[in-house]
Amino acid sequence: MNRLEQLKSSGKKAFVAYIMAGDGGLDRLKEQVQYLQKAGVTAIEIGIPFSDPVADGPTIEAAGNRALKQGVTLQKVLEEMKSWTFQVEIPLLVMTYLNPVLKFGVERFAAECGKAGVSGVIIPDLPHEHKQLVQPYVDKENIKLIQLVTLTTTDTRLEDILREAEGFVYAVTVKGITGSRDEMSEDVKAFMRKVRGKSPVPVYAGFGISKSSHVDMLRDDVDGFIVGSAIVEAFNADKIQEIEPLIHAVTNAHSV
Amino acid sequence: MTKVKICGLKEEQHVKAAKRADAIGFVFAPSKRQVTIAQAAELAKHIPVDTDKIGVFVNASLQEIEDTVAGVPLTMVQLHGDEPDDLIQAIRVPVIQAFSIRTKEDVEKLKNSKADYVLVDAPGTDYRGGSGNVFDWSLLHGADIDLSRLIVAGGLNPGNVHAAIGQTTPYMVDVSSGVETDGRKDSAKIQEFIKQVKDDSMEQTIEKTGFFGKYGGQFVPETLMKAVKELEDAYEEVKEDPEFQREYHHYLSEYVGREQPLTFAQRMTEALGGPKIYLKREDLNHTGAHKVNNAIGQALLAMRMGKRKIVAETGAGQHGVATATICALFDLDCVIFMGEEDIKRQQLNVFRMKLLGARVESVTKGSATLKDAVNEALRYWVANVEDTHYLIGSALGPHPFPTMVRDFQSVIGQETKRQILDKEGRLPDAILACVGGGSNAIGMFYPFIQDKEVQLIGVEAAGEGVDTDKHAATLTKGTEGVLHGALMKLLQDDSGQVQEAHSISAGLDYPGIGPEHAHLADIGRVEYRSITDKEALAAVISMSRLEGIIPALESAHAIAEAEKQAKMMTADQILVICVSGRGDKDMATYAEKLEGLS
Ligand SMILES: Cc1ncc(COP(=O)(O)O)c(C=O)c1O
Repeated sequence: MNRLEQLKSSGKKAFVAYIMAGDGGLDRLKEQVQYLQKAGVTAIEIGIPFSDPVADGPTIEAAGNRALKQGVTLQKVLEEMKSWTFQVEIPLLVMTYLNPVLKFGVERFAAECGKAGVSGVIIPDLPHEHKQLVQPYVDKENIKLIQLVTLTTTDTRLEDILREAEGFVYAVTVKGITGSRDEMSEDVKAFMRKVRGKSPVPVYAGFGISKSSHVDMLRDDVDGFIVGSAIVEAFNADKIQEIEPLIHAVTNAHSV
Repeated sequence: MTKVKICGLKEEQHVKAAKRADAIGFVFAPSKRQVTIAQAAELAKHIPVDTDKIGVFVNASLQEIEDTVAGVPLTMVQLHGDEPDDLIQAIRVPVIQAFSIRTKEDVEKLKNSKADYVLVDAPGTDYRGGSGNVFDWSLLHGADIDLSRLIVAGGLNPGNVHAAIGQTTPYMVDVSSGVETDGRKDSAKIQEFIKQVKDDSMEQTIEKTGFFGKYGGQFVPETLMKAVKELEDAYEEVKEDPEFQREYHHYLSEYVGREQPLTFAQRMTEALGGPKIYLKREDLNHTGAHKVNNAIGQALLAMRMGKRKIVAETGAGQHGVATATICALFDLDCVIFMGEEDIKRQQLNVFRMKLLGARVESVTKGSATLKDAVNEALRYWVANVEDTHYLIGSALGPHPFPTMVRDFQSVIGQETKRQILDKEGRLPDAILACVGGGSNAIGMFYPFIQDKEVQLIGVEAAGEGVDTDKHAATLTKGTEGVLHGALMKLLQDDSGQVQEAHSISAGLDYPGIGPEHAHLADIGRVEYRSITDKEALAAVISMSRLEGIIPALESAHAIAEAEKQAKMMTADQILVICVSGRGDKDMATYAEKLEGLS
């Protein structure tokens, strides 16, 4: 069974951590994954650096640029993951823009992800309309193609996207790009409730989640949280232990 | 929603008619519908990237299949013979295995298939690979088949496909003879078949509009999809609205000063000793370049949509100035993103934008040029999408931008056509325009695309030379990729990272190219050449001294290529150059680079 499916049956609130592969050198990726796994995260999204990350804010873009300077590529990340011998117990996802995938070859990408033990892929600039470009290949490897929904997604689109959703749904909490924020707007709660009411798979809230106050506000309306910029920032500043309370705020307290 | 495959296509017109299909089938097995790898590869140029290209084989070897997959290229393989399981498993792309179904027992065989999808067909009579006989759909009832891998074929046509979907709810329906008339594909039937499948479903139909051959599309984050769709709808509406068109043309004439002359360049013609040379004078537009044609059109559209905030990117600053100008005219809020590098080389335009009341945001990321300015403008749009229109400056971006910008710039070619017929009584033999993102060129070329006798030449920036790493010759050196919302041609490295472009001219300094140009290059309708920084500068001097027209650096690329092209032409021929803008904005560069000019 795909690890993402096992997740769903466990019933706990999920904490999905995003890291930028190769920020600080590709050899750090393994430590980071091991660290997060031990710290109790539910799944890890491994970001692939891209020269033109239009869906990302300054934190992740800067991390991507640092990784690019180190010569990190999609291929190298997948090779690295394939070489791991430690026990990976949680689902690993790859988050990449479409162009590196096209250049690598979609079919080869899916096959290599399969070999690297990837459970899901997220391609932020591949909308539902064009997902056929990738879907048949990831299907072949039993890898889930995660879809995003946002506050601007219309109701009919939402239905279309959710009907074919697999793995989990990535529900974007902000009108904007990735990055830490102070406030979460009130309509986000209603939006999450709507998505969760219709989704056949778990709904995880992402973009801008960086504090336990965000988690408290949305906890009852989602199945989990995706935290990116705050983790990328913490790894970069060598203060990753400061993220642990946030992880525990999600995974421990009042779990359903 | 059930997908549609149109199978056995051999002609370009039918591939185009099948644009909204989810998959196109090419038959490589012996059949009256058989095509060669080369023929299929040619046809594939007209198929959107996200449409599956499926090759149909009967008992072919793995080698043959792999060569065909690579040669077209194909995204899936469909097998109609007695292919063994190990062959099926060795094929790297997803596989469809076809079964002829006569009885319930035949249905059992389906379930054990090792293929990713199974296709059910009525038994063939004369040859394998689909017979066109009607398949008894009721055989599938109660058979416990995984519907998400089921493809139904066999005797489908526009009249019965609705019922077939109702009975079997398959993953995909496949049709070939059902959309033919007298043994040949029929475009009207193809379209009707697709319509029957797509439009009778309760779901939102997914249109394959916005593709030029395989290029284009809407590759943007989900947050922007609503805005992009709204824009698409709004544009569809105004395109046909005479009131909107009247308003647009009113501002073009009363404010921009159109129509612009098609000036006979007498001294240049004499100096080159070849064809008669005409100049399309976009340099005479208010604000100094063609960019304003598009800015007016889009600003009017934004206001129709109730949006009074505008964000735009600019390279040379011409589009930024045009946008800031129109925003002042219509009292719209205006933010312009511009690369730090470009701000340095186009100081005068930065000041003009500020004077016009726009906020100019400096972009320091990446190469700090046009590409990075587009990234920032897109991010700004993502965050402010409800009340802001992104007024993109070239024939780039997600659909409908490339089409819309082309349409707003087509006034260039339409006037040119009228004027040359007036002056010469015939169409020109060659037309040249410079290509950055491609808006002045597509606006000039589009009205001439069907006139096969007119040679169309786009001129890219070769920077310090196409064999150095400092150039912007996307069509000469680029490869397919997705940037800024569309599949296009890109300068990129082996890992799909977009590379920095280089050109002395800020307006051509972009590592991509509009999707329609990528398609026109593929099919050979437009030829793309390139001109170096040095050659462009030389053309600035010659044009200034021969005609008293100081061109923009961008336009100078077209002029320099025209000087070469003219040498290959004769006195009875006609050549038109699109002078996309004037050189005022480049005066600092000219002063520096042409120092000591005597
Ligand atoms: C005068 C002029 N010509 C040409 C261009 C190139 O753009 P496009 O290829 O969209 O016409 C620019 C862009 O800034 C320009 O200012």
